[in-house]
Amino acid sequence: MIDNQQKRTEGAAGTTDAQKAPQLQPKDIHKEFNGNTVLSDISLDVNAGEVVAFIGPSGAGKSTLLRCVNYLETPSSGDLLIDGKPTVKIASKPTRNELMNLRRQVGMVFQSFNLFPHISVLRNVALPQERVLGRSRKEAEERAMELLTRVGLGDKADARPSKCSGGQQQRIAIARALALDPEIMLFDEPTSALDPELGGEVLAVMQELAATGMTMLVVTHEMSFARRVSDRTVFMADGRIVEQGAPEQVFGAPREARTKKFLEAVLER
Amino acid sequence: MFEQWIQWLPGLLTGLQTSLAVTGLSLLLGLPLGLLFAFGMISRTRILRQATILIVELGRGIPLLVVLYVVYFGLPDGGIVLESFAAAVVAIAFNTGAYTSEIFRAGLLSVPRGHIEAAQSLGLNWTDEARYIVLPQALRAIVPPLMSYSVIVFQATSLGYAIALPELLNSAYQIGSVTFEFLSVFILAGLIYAALSIVVSRFVDAIHSKTAH
Repeated sequence: MIDNQQKRTEGAAGTTDAQKAPQLQPKDIHKEFNGNTVLSDISLDVNAGEVVAFIGPSGAGKSTLLRCVNYLETPSSGDLLIDGKPTVKIASKPTRNELMNLRRQVGMVFQSFNLFPHISVLRNVALPQERVLGRSRKEAEERAMELLTRVGLGDKADARPSKCSGGQQQRIAIARALALDPEIMLFDEPTSALDPELGGEVLAVMQELAATGMTMLVVTHEMSFARRVSDRTVFMADGRIVEQGAPEQVFGAPREARTKKFLEAVLER
Repeated sequence: MFEQWIQWLPGLLTGLQTSLAVTGLSLLLGLPLGLLFAFGMISRTRILRQATILIVELGRGIPLLVVLYVVYFGLPDGGIVLESFAAAVVAIAFNTGAYTSEIFRAGLLSVPRGHIEAAQSLGLNWTDEARYIVLPQALRAIVPPLMSYSVIVFQATSLGYAIALPELLNSAYQIGSVTFEFLSVFILAGLIYAALSIVVSRFVDAIHSKTAH
């Protein structure tokens, strides 16, 4: 609301963008690995608070696209805009500062959790805050405790990650990312390594997070989650966005033959 | 024979002190060098990577005795004059750095890629990533082989004899040249080397079997 008003006054003062830019805009993101095109010119507008689910067959480029958004993969070309501003000047050559700035705004959760095994659960969540945001140890651990409690794991604070179940580890990983107060969260197949019951715990936390208005990009094979929780579902195949829209539309009345074929195969299981 | 040995022991132990001092200092300088080389070898900067690999290959390819000669007899031509003690430390440290770089590199690469990506995605900078995430995990893989390597360094100090370093072997030779009991004194020197080496090796094995479980 306030932002909108600000923009309007800025607009009146002579700036050209009268409308509020989408929070996240990958523009013509192109990615090649050794001459193979993995992403061909992907463009997308994601608004603040939107939950976007990416579905599609393996090798469609969903994860690669997600990893381009925080530059774990460097796009071969294209632009990545946050709040209408380019995050990296030359897409294929990010500077250290650009990467730091980008990653401060974007949090990520991995399929394999990737908690640090040599430190406690609490330290996993607190350490990045101390090093990246410069919070004091006390402050960081308080915040960590608060988030661990929120994901239902306050009692695991002193344990090593290896003493936690997969579902618990993934919830800790979510808390770790949230502790840095990101504006956008990326989830790369967060439940693929979990059995359905443990996956359910993780999805519940994600659903709660979505309800708080966090912008979320979720690569998932959980069709029911995509359908229920996402504001928009994006179907990708062969490095392209084939179709996107409200989940009811994509799941209920897909327009493209490729989407139909995929959904039939997946939903009949 | 044992009476002789007891008589020679003080002289040999003085030599042993020098051997141990050279071992300690060589490790103190050589291990950080090895770590530095390891980071160089996995660097994303191509020139740095290739330059480091070249240095490491040379360090491992040139026999230690040749390095010792270059440092002790050769460097004075370039105006750098080192005493035998300093020369031994420099040469052995360089050799240690080259050889242990491979141990460090393997340890660094043993840290799962996902942990490094997690550190990066959290916005940790390069030094924090190394200090808090990579090195503590790599250490487990690194410490046992490094301790084994320190035994090799200790034994390699006997090459210091060739540049008149008054270490253990040299002390034994001095005693032999006075008493002509070469066989006896060299056996004693050999036993001293072996005793220390075996103790450290056993210790490493103990650590190994403990961390393995």
